Amino acid sequence: MVKFVVKRLLYMIPVLLGVAFLVFAILSLTPGDPGTIILGITAKPEDIASLNAQLGYDRPFFIRFFNYIGDIIFHFDLGTSYQSREPVIDSILARFPNTLKLTIFSMSVSSVIGISLGILSAVRQYSVLDHVCVITALIFACIPGFWLGLMLLMLFSLKLGWLPPYGAGSLRHFILPTITVSMTSAAGLLRLTRSAMLETIRQEYIRTAKAKGASEKRIIVRHALRNAMIPVITTLGTSFGASLGGAIIAETVFAMPGMGTLITTAIRQKDIPTVMGATLFLATLFSLIILIVDLLYAFIDPRIKAKYRNGGKSHE
Amino acid sequence: MSNAGKKRNSQLSEIWRRYKKNKAAMVGLVILVIILFLAVFADLIVPYSKCIDQIGAERLQGPSLKHFFGTDEYGRDLFARVIHGSRYSLFIGVATSLMALVIGAVLGASAGYFGGVVDTVICRIIDVFMCVPPILLSLAVVAALGTSMRNLIIAITVSCIPGNVRLIRSLVLTVAEQDYVEAARSYGTSHARIIFRYVLPNAMGPIIVNTTMAISDMILSAAGLSFIGMGIQPPSPEWGALLSSAQQYMFTSPYLLLFPGMFIMLSSLSFNLVGDGLTDALDPKLKD
Amino acid sequence: MVLKIENLSVSYETDIEVVHAVNDISFSIEKGETLGLVGETGAGKTTTALSIMGLLPERTARVRSGRIEFQENDLLALSEREMQHIRGDKISMIFQDPMTALNPVLTVGEQIAEALILHNTDGYTQKEIEARVEETLELVGIPKERKKDYPYQFSGGMRQRVVIAIALVCNPDLLIADEPTTALDVTIQAQILSMICDLQRKYGTSVIMITHDLGVVAETCDKVGIIYAGEMVEYGTLYDIFEGDEHHPYTVGLFGSIPNLKENARRLHPIEGLMPDPTNLPEGCSFSPRCKRCMEICMKKKPAVYENNGHQIRCHLYDAGMQKAVSENRKEAGEDGR
Repeated sequence: MVKFVVKRLLYMIPVLLGVAFLVFAILSLTPGDPGTIILGITAKPEDIASLNAQLGYDRPFFIRFFNYIGDIIFHFDLGTSYQSREPVIDSILARFPNTLKLTIFSMSVSSVIGISLGILSAVRQYSVLDHVCVITALIFACIPGFWLGLMLLMLFSLKLGWLPPYGAGSLRHFILPTITVSMTSAAGLLRLTRSAMLETIRQEYIRTAKAKGASEKRIIVRHALRNAMIPVITTLGTSFGASLGGAIIAETVFAMPGMGTLITTAIRQKDIPTVMGATLFLATLFSLIILIVDLLYAFIDPRIKAKYRNGGKSHE
Repeated sequence: MSNAGKKRNSQLSEIWRRYKKNKAAMVGLVILVIILFLAVFADLIVPYSKCIDQIGAERLQGPSLKHFFGTDEYGRDLFARVIHGSRYSLFIGVATSLMALVIGAVLGASAGYFGGVVDTVICRIIDVFMCVPPILLSLAVVAALGTSMRNLIIAITVSCIPGNVRLIRSLVLTVAEQDYVEAARSYGTSHARIIFRYVLPNAMGPIIVNTTMAISDMILSAAGLSFIGMGIQPPSPEWGALLSSAQQYMFTSPYLLLFPGMFIMLSSLSFNLVGDGLTDALDPKLKD
Repeated sequence: MVLKIENLSVSYETDIEVVHAVNDISFSIEKGETLGLVGETGAGKTTTALSIMGLLPERTARVRSGRIEFQENDLLALSEREMQHIRGDKISMIFQDPMTALNPVLTVGEQIAEALILHNTDGYTQKEIEARVEETLELVGIPKERKKDYPYQFSGGMRQRVVIAIALVCNPDLLIADEPTTALDVTIQAQILSMICDLQRKYGTSVIMITHDLGVVAETCDKVGIIYAGEMVEYGTLYDIFEGDEHHPYTVGLFGSIPNLKENARRLHPIEGLMPDPTNLPEGCSFSPRCKRCMEICMKKKPAVYENNGHQIRCHLYDAGMQKAVSENRKEAGEDGR
């Protein structure tokens, strides 16, 4: 198992380099050079050229890429913002906690609601509860998150005045954004959990367990749950990505200073280093989450665990 | 040939028979047909000029007989804008899903069918793409290319390709392992014939369902990106963009938020319901 | 008498159709006896088994009539909780496909122990349960060290042994084996069958052996019931079925469908046609559309049961006044290679 974890961690290195290259390559398609963006088109061409040279922009693409990676690894330096001329890492670290909080809150809320209602819905298939869950989940899966956010804002902040509409000052500020982000992914998780559970309940080994004389409760808890959780766990990574995406958009709705607003503002200002740094930062975090989900998956399914233990070879 | 055609027809009518039984799917289909109708005949329903006419005296008016959905801050008719906006959402939803499908199919099918080095290379690249959350990928593309309809379509398509490649690769792998494909191989059927005659038709069901569901998601993504100003820009009457500009007036004119949001939800919902219905209709085995 | 079933009828009802899976079946089993239920796929054998276990699908299946008496209890009248005490302890079942019958995320030891834990009326300790699990594994021919292994680490035959261990660990009074060897290789089949027989002899368990294989029946059973379209068309001792003079035409057909090396036959004699659609059974005898000896009455009236010394046949050929026909039937049975 330790060997597998180490192996997975080592595999992260080329993947992360790949991610960095991908982001770097996409953003290098940006028309215009940094000198012009920083100094403006009215600046003297020599000034622009010298600034470009100073920033290393006159070097070939691959040299720039390796310099960028080198700075990250050796100096924890993600470059300097074109706009504020401050290190990108500083503005990321200032805003990241808000995005992280919002994502973690939303993930927790949506997992608890989505998975538990999904199980309940499957166990009581065709009941009133099941129908209500399925229809509500369907509707929430199709409501744009940001629109739900706007509606909540209108109702709870503007009409009722219960919760603060903007900012990230206190935990109360996070309530509406958390609901906004978590409802969409809770809906998805509910639908997935429900269908995984229904699929599992139909399996023959459930009948074997019944034939042993196990009660319904025992069958659900001991036999069905772990099997049904396998497909759910594999999508938790994706679901984290969706929550992160939801958080980025929700930040705009609730004017919350976070990674989303940082990136969108930077895009508007053509502040490429900030966009690149922030994107890379979040992608790295996301890769680590995927890694954790993979390990969790191996922990729950003995077949996968064994496959890793034997270095890829499984029985039969 | 006519025989094959007949067989195809009876298959389609069988699928339709099963589809009709599903009430929710029929509701979805009706909504979808209505929205498609609105998008196609938008000009006949309400001329495009109504979207741009700014009537100074009728700013921010609530819904009335004259303006079904009210007017915006420039006195433009919201009903006209929402109806014409359906073109953006549907077009972007369908275009991105189809493009992502074609690219995903080519890459996924090659990886799955040929295996070996091709598979390894494609899978490693997809691993990298999968490590960037879709919205970040879209934002990076928009940041590089700028905001426009074309770039929005590229941005959303790119973010949706990796998932498609994985899906189609695993479908092809599953089908290629089936006994009937093995049988076809054993009596010397060519690769091309196996792919077109056996593998693709048998993987078609999940692909159609997935694409329908994807349209639903793409409509939401497009609206979301436009809402944060990274997609289609005002004054284009795209639904997300409408909501973005309506945000300022939400206390005085909540209807500006209500109608575009409802339309986004309904169009996304309709594709979702149709997708669900197709799942059952195309593969009766999957039904509970 | 361990089990007695009287006039059991079960149907599956959905919005669209009603499937008559089991129609008026009766039989009984003594202690230590093996009853074979033989019939084609879809004849209603598994439905009968699931009715005894009380495991029919809740939403669709309906017991229309009949009585299932097990050790003086009417099983159909018991509550779900009471059935749970019987299932796995007094009556247990071996399922057809060992590849899917075991939970992939639990070790085989855990799965065997579960039956003991659920029916632990004697207050065994954890240690005693473990010892019993190991003993049972050895009994079915699996080294006890493998109790910590997961199902995917076993081959099909070994998995079926595990399934049998689960079924036997509580020493049931009745074991229902639903096609226990159909999914296995022939050599493994023989091993599994002889194992079931040995264990049965050792513990005096009664067994219902569900199969479509007459060879399995000949090797293992004391009594045989031939089931066709949900009806028991013939029922008798192994001798009655294999060597007796009087037979239902379907039984004759079944025997004609298997190769016989002693006879120099050019070809098999399969039964023409297919089993009737269980949603729309024929009015008279269900076998009449395929029966070579079909008479006018067969298409109008359900035949009554003819009984001769415990050997039951449900056919109009044995109605009073049909003796001539019977003798012809015998003659044909003889021609068909018995």
